[in-house]
Amino acid sequence: MNRISALTQRGNTRWLVYAILIIITVTAMMPIALTVLVSLKNHEDVIRTPPLLFPCDTPARSFDIGACRWSLEGYERVLVPKAAPDALLGVELTGPMVTVYAGNTMLYATVSSVLVVILSATSGYALSRYRFRGRKLLQYAIMAVMGVPYLTNLLALYQAGTTLRTLGLPYDDRSFIIIVYVGFFLPMSVWIAKGFFDAIPRDLEEAALIDGCDPINALLRIIVPLTQPGLVAIFMLTFVGVWNEFLAGYLLIARNANKTLMFGFYDFMGQNLINLQGVAAVSIAVAAPVVILFLFFRRSFFAAMVEGAVKG
Amino acid sequence: MKTPKRFRDTLPFWLVLPTVLVLLVVQVYPALYTVWLSLQERVAAGWTYVGLDNFERLLNMGQFSESIGHTIVFLVGHVVLTMVGGFITAYLLSRKIRFTGGFITMLFIPWVLSQIIVGFIFRLLVAPDYGIFSGLLLDPNLFPPAGLSVLTAVPPRPWFGDFPFPPAAAMTLLILASTWRALPFVTLLMLASMQQISTEVVESSRIDGAGSGQVIRFIIVPLILPTLVVAIFNTVLNGVNGVGLVFSLTSGGPGTSTQIISYLLYNVGWTQIRFGRAAALALIIAVINWLLIIGTMRITRSEERQGEA
Repeated sequence: MNRISALTQRGNTRWLVYAILIIITVTAMMPIALTVLVSLKNHEDVIRTPPLLFPCDTPARSFDIGACRWSLEGYERVLVPKAAPDALLGVELTGPMVTVYAGNTMLYATVSSVLVVILSATSGYALSRYRFRGRKLLQYAIMAVMGVPYLTNLLALYQAGTTLRTLGLPYDDRSFIIIVYVGFFLPMSVWIAKGFFDAIPRDLEEAALIDGCDPINALLRIIVPLTQPGLVAIFMLTFVGVWNEFLAGYLLIARNANKTLMFGFYDFMGQNLINLQGVAAVSIAVAAPVVILFLFFRRSFFAAMVEGAVKG
Repeated sequence: MKTPKRFRDTLPFWLVLPTVLVLLVVQVYPALYTVWLSLQERVAAGWTYVGLDNFERLLNMGQFSESIGHTIVFLVGHVVLTMVGGFITAYLLSRKIRFTGGFITMLFIPWVLSQIIVGFIFRLLVAPDYGIFSGLLLDPNLFPPAGLSVLTAVPPRPWFGDFPFPPAAAMTLLILASTWRALPFVTLLMLASMQQISTEVVESSRIDGAGSGQVIRFIIVPLILPTLVVAIFNTVLNGVNGVGLVFSLTSGGPGTSTQIISYLLYNVGWTQIRFGRAAALALIIAVINWLLIIGTMRITRSEERQGEA
């Protein structure tokens, strides 16, 4: 009797749990969905007052699915397609977002992520496997560095960049910003990597060492393959982090031709505040690659984020 | 081929060396330089030592104490909403339900978006005249006397002296936007921690007659307490550093009503071009960060001890 009542009660609450979760999810998705809607309207429908949700009204009816005026004007404003017979789809995208900023961000994100993976793997391995002098100190230093707000560092890095440029030394915006990004994302990544190495039993490599394998080979042949999911996660977290980073790129890169996608977004937004459909379109276009990346690699994202936060 | 013994003994040093070098250049050197810079002032020929003048002038700047007030309002609102929202969502997801993965994946998308884009998205919702919620907000029946234009509304008269509470409408929007973006991460952390709790503990307490509220208060919260600390720690740090949102959402306005301390740092440094003063401010922010972190750890430690007793 008791048991039956407990069961039915649980059934009811379960229904409620689903209902609340669906409400939370729909609320969380709503701002994105509304942005997508705005990005697909033409200018006349965007500046209507009172604002309308779907550009589907007619003089007779407030909603007529056949009369929808969807438009790609916003996207055209960003991508600036021009007819080009040689190109793949017959059009060439000539907006600075595509021709300048996307390529820069792609370069910075890829190179920084590769470097972060290599550096965090080697030092995470050392911290996990060896008891060397200064190990504790290094761990504390990494933790302390994570507590310093990155805004604090930007000030000095900006000055350093200015000085390097005026001294006429061989200086390149791109290598400078890549080193800065590596430094920003390295501390957290070292923790994540150490956590993943800690999870691998030592016996495995000890067996390899006894069999005559040297430490470097043990690392490359046995440990790296086992930690591959962790390293992929570090790559992804850094990649998304650099992709989304705005302020450092905005302040530290001097030449416009070297600036990042988020700078491009900010610049475009400043110039197009009356063309909300265009800014909405650029938001979607700029965010889409990392959202897709996240959807593909979500498991490793989750694992690495929990690892990094709990250890750090 | 065997590696020479000396190389093998020094291997850990070689492994950590590149990381140490990068951290020295990008983290340690800037921190030390900021300390030096905070004691300098720009003169025609370079920099001159001015002692603690920068700090003094900063403290005398009206905008500084004002932005401390805004930062407190922002952080409290942001942290409370994020922790409560994250806890509720994680608790629901930790129940035995299907599609947990689907829910968390969808809920997580806001976290993958850049702060500066999130700022624009929320601005889009309330943009004067054209935002989808503007019609509702401008309705004088709902928001007397003349409706609410979120991005331009004058802050309400403060209740306690100069302390900016209740917050301006734009500040509320800023808090909502930053919470929206931070929520998934906190939810994920708490969910991971709740899933570690053995179902037997919860089941047996239920059989002993504990209600949901008691299970949460006496079993779940104490068991995930370390994670709660980590979550608060992360939320506070990201909140203090969350300057990208301000850029695209409000640019500190209307007036200075959303000028939180990180945005003030940008303004002092790069708009007013006063680097010495900005460095002083940067150090103050760093110290505030540390105090918040240590404070959070202290409070939860004593809670933990009480919980054990």
